[in-house]
Amino acid sequence: MSDATEIRNMLVDAATRVFADHVDAKLLDAAKRDGWSADLWRIVSDAQLPLIGIAEEKGGSGGSLSDQAAVLRIAARYAAPIPLAETALAAWLLTEAGLPLIDGPLTIAPVRGETIQAKRDGASWRLTGRVSRVPFARACRRLVVLATATEGLLVATVDPAQCKITAGSNLAFESRDAVDLDNAPAENAALTTAVTPATLRLRGALARALQIAGALEAALELSVRYAGERVQFGRKIAEFQAIQHELARFAGETAAAVGASMSAAGVLERGGDAHLAVASAKIRCSRAAQEGSMIAHQVHGAIGFTDRYALHHATLRLWAWREEFGNEAMWAEALGRSMAAAGADGLWPALTGN
Amino acid sequence: MFQQVDFSALDLPPSARALQLEVRAFLRAEMAAGTFEVHLGHTEFNAALSKKIGARGWIGMTWPKRYGGQERSYLDRFVMTEEMLAVAAPCAAHWFGDRQTGPSLLRYGSETQRQRFLPAIARGEFAFALGMSEPNAGSDLAAVKTRAERVDGGWKINGQKVWTSWGHKADAFFVLCRTAPDSGNRHDGLSQLIVELKQPGVTVRPIYFMDGGHHFNEIFFDDVFVPDDMVVGDIGAGWRQITSELALERSGPERYMTTFPLFVELVRRLGKSPDARAAEMIGRLTAGIWSLRRMSLAIAMTLDPGPGAEFGTPKATVDLATEAALVKDLGTFYEREIIDAARLLSDVEPEHGAKNLFERFLAESIVAAPVSTLRGGTTQVLRGLIARKLLGRLK
Repeated sequence: MSDATEIRNMLVDAATRVFADHVDAKLLDAAKRDGWSADLWRIVSDAQLPLIGIAEEKGGSGGSLSDQAAVLRIAARYAAPIPLAETALAAWLLTEAGLPLIDGPLTIAPVRGETIQAKRDGASWRLTGRVSRVPFARACRRLVVLATATEGLLVATVDPAQCKITAGSNLAFESRDAVDLDNAPAENAALTTAVTPATLRLRGALARALQIAGALEAALELSVRYAGERVQFGRKIAEFQAIQHELARFAGETAAAVGASMSAAGVLERGGDAHLAVASAKIRCSRAAQEGSMIAHQVHGAIGFTDRYALHHATLRLWAWREEFGNEAMWAEALGRSMAAAGADGLWPALTGN
Repeated sequence: MFQQVDFSALDLPPSARALQLEVRAFLRAEMAAGTFEVHLGHTEFNAALSKKIGARGWIGMTWPKRYGGQERSYLDRFVMTEEMLAVAAPCAAHWFGDRQTGPSLLRYGSETQRQRFLPAIARGEFAFALGMSEPNAGSDLAAVKTRAERVDGGWKINGQKVWTSWGHKADAFFVLCRTAPDSGNRHDGLSQLIVELKQPGVTVRPIYFMDGGHHFNEIFFDDVFVPDDMVVGDIGAGWRQITSELALERSGPERYMTTFPLFVELVRRLGKSPDARAAEMIGRLTAGIWSLRRMSLAIAMTLDPGPGAEFGTPKATVDLATEAALVKDLGTFYEREIIDAARLLSDVEPEHGAKNLFERFLAESIVAAPVSTLRGGTTQVLRGLIARKLLGRLK
């Protein structure tokens, strides 16, 4: 076993303990009301999980992008209602732009292709724009925005108190808010060529793919357990071949999601064809989200769709996350266009390039 | 599933990257020279091409050098296999030896058998086939009835095998047969024997595929004598021997790539600026094969014994049989997605043996589609196996 693997395993064990010990039905129910869980954030922050994957010399907790990916997947397995992915994305924007890291929770904007305009104001910058569906805007300590100035792209931090925030939520009741910036002052800003809206979207899609993989693992585990307990027609339903085959298909979808999303993290880390890898991961994971969630509910019967039973924390997230940062159709069309442009004889070399 | 695998670390080593380009260039040159015609569905038997491939050291490449191998990694073999599949190069003349009988001989064969067969397989000069299924033993392989009776100096076989691919061209095949009567435990009393195909008492009859092609055969034994030194492993241990090495075989690129050349021709047909519907389809198919390849690679990488271990034998400490079944199940259905995309985006009425490459591939893929979810474990058998592993954790 290599050192990197051993460190990863320790990290995974530690993160699993944190979430397993602290995420329970009560916390998740409260988060449905509040859009997130401030309590859980404090615990996860104390455990130094949010800045895994950001170098220590830049103020992060160290570790690789794949380590960060592993943590995101585990957090999603427990439906952790906190801006872990968003803080990681924000930290990435800041470090790429050469700005100092700030304590989380953080979020990023825009996430849906809108534009935030930046204008110089003396030595500082002011920001204007209306952006929708910003994850956890209500909850974050600072927004990290990727804005457009006449001079180029600008990464800037903004105090949410300087914005008008209208609460909204995704299907899982996670905060997805509208943010109105009206000449809002940037606290800290830097022009950059290191990040673009496209690379931010790519990283966002990778994060959601990893989260889908984690939520699928949770839903599969619940389904397998339930099938082993639930008795109908005098037998555990797990003894019916029809149920067994559905669970097997579910396991396949889950494995495909884990494999694709974790692989994509590795490709991004090694500098391979990130568009191919992340697009593939988001497409494959979103499809698995559909197949897997439907099997999970079918196996569970009616109890599965109630708010009393844990399954919905996973499936609501699957249905929300598959749309965020581009759904499978959008990514498939973009990926298809780039593969077609490379030509039929470029298809296989592209697939095997990383 | 895949608990032992770190997908983020999956990467081809430089040796495999170099090999990739080498094999690609070789195949391109062979195709340009017109050495082989490409057909989808059933890999073709081309002894001349297999000899050329053998001469390059690309058959049995993970085996020890003393048996004609190259002591290369599973990932090198993975790359070799996928390059062949990407252009549907004919490989039936070495496929079964490279993938099944060779590894079985390495693990269970006698020294004499290894010396005799492995270097010949690796040179591409000796073709093996497989004698597993029988008329009443398909998915339920332990129901085989072909019998071998003890005679002086060996065994005398009577019975029948069926669905033996390329049995009409191969030199010998591995025959799973009953060497002791069924005594209650049906997995006992089975043995593996090597039977040369061109000898008295062995009758090979074609079973034509629905499009008229000849790949499958039924093979009859009438008092066929097999000497003791052609018994593989131990008498009575046949079941354990055939079931112990399924992971690599079940999860290889051949489980999701048999229609890939149709995908390539589809992309060619759609051109460099496809409409939104076609682009989306190409994107989905791309994501599908990219994801499957990662899973398949993960299994090859994890089972690779690594340098210093016994070459050619998978790492014994990891059990990826369930993961392999998952890859096969997903892969065989993925292959059909390519067929459907090609159909729906092309508006072609397929015809057997069409001159146009895309149209021929389409026809061949459509009629071969039912095969992939049957051979090497049916969908239903695989899902049963996966479910047992999933639910086993409950007990």
